[in-house]
Amino acid sequence: MPELERTLARLGRELDWPETPDLASSVRTRLSSAPARTPRRRPLFRRSVVLAFAILLVASATVFAAVPGVRDAVLEFFGLRGATVERREALPTPPPERSLVLGTRTTLDAARERIGFEPLVPADPGDPDYVYVRSVTSGGELTLAYNARPGLPRARSTRLGLVVSQFRGDVAPEYVGKVTGPGTGIEELRLGGERAIWIEGAPHFFFYRGPNGEVLDHELRVAENVLLLERGRLLVRLEGAFTRERAIEIAESLR
Amino acid sequence: MEDRPPHEDELVARAKRGELDAYEEIVRRHQSIAFRTAWVITGSAADAEEAAQDAFVKAHAALGRFREGAPLRPWLLTIVANEARNRAKAAGRRERLVLRVAEERRPGGAVPSPEAALLDSEQRGELLDALAGLSGADREAIACRYLLELSEEETAAALGCARGTVKSRVSRALARLRERMEVADA
Repeated sequence: MPELERTLARLGRELDWPETPDLASSVRTRLSSAPARTPRRRPLFRRSVVLAFAILLVASATVFAAVPGVRDAVLEFFGLRGATVERREALPTPPPERSLVLGTRTTLDAARERIGFEPLVPADPGDPDYVYVRSVTSGGELTLAYNARPGLPRARSTRLGLVVSQFRGDVAPEYVGKVTGPGTGIEELRLGGERAIWIEGAPHFFFYRGPNGEVLDHELRVAENVLLLERGRLLVRLEGAFTRERAIEIAESLR
Repeated sequence: MEDRPPHEDELVARAKRGELDAYEEIVRRHQSIAFRTAWVITGSAADAEEAAQDAFVKAHAALGRFREGAPLRPWLLTIVANEARNRAKAAGRRERLVLRVAEERRPGGAVPSPEAALLDSEQRGELLDALAGLSGADREAIACRYLLELSEEETAAALGCARGTVKSRVSRALARLRERMEVADA
């Protein structure tokens, strides 16, 4: 078959290739969140320190020393199913600005197929501009992202108007961790009978824990104002440069 | 107003200066070939998307090391293919690449014109069967060089091998494909 090469090229043009996703937009979003930063996952703190935390975690079976600043006393501790918040005497130096790690860009319909729960979407502001899924935790994590708009100013931390993340808090009780300094406001709330925590003010750290409770240091970043809330089996996290009232409005519109 | 689309060298120079619009345009121009190459390697559209996305973010960070005037596509494909291979390795699996022809994309029930029907169904079926019977490495070589119509340099980038070995690797894969087709014909 002398024309085999040409026939193969023709076949290539007739193939049912999977549809190319809009990488230009998703890459742009990731780069916008940390301009001129290398996406390389550099450890923010000395590896030995991180290892010490991991060992301490296993030894004490507490979340006490989850992040750097282990010598700083924990002043207060708050817990939801899926998230922990610690207030400390002092915070370590804020990590450098870094790319948001939100997972794979997808659509809401496609996300439903990939995650182990029915997604909650806030009727206010409505359909998200971007949808991401990642599978770090059991059942997956879904993130809805919204560009800045009236009522949702652009946040310094995310370069977005609103970020809504959700995952199965019942199967990953300490997946999200937060550490704040004394200057950060932490308020425990009840929204529709379920527990919530509002965190506002001075920068606070936000990190994920791996399946064995270890701190995933490359996920550590400074967060904006945040509302954490339990909704049934889910833990939902809203982040933005919004007020407490605005965050509650958005949370109450979750359907 | 200038309507001419910017030349790639110009986009690279602007992206190096930190212009995200320019980099977004670079990604837009190469996203399809990057995604398809990652798909050929991983066999999974979801893995291919993640690999290609991570690769473009890494390429942006490495842009300062890209030699101006050099062809961009092979450089990008090297990064994409590395990401795709690492992802497949980390996941401890590689999905079997399933090649299909886009029959369903033809308008419902319409008889394709002779021009549209580039390959007759028998020819297509024979080729697809023969490709399916090849080893993963052979199929990857043929997919990169012919189905994706990559140049030799780009194929080397995608296969992670030296440019000098591409020709022999591809021709060995073609020979095995021919053998399979002859056996089927016999």
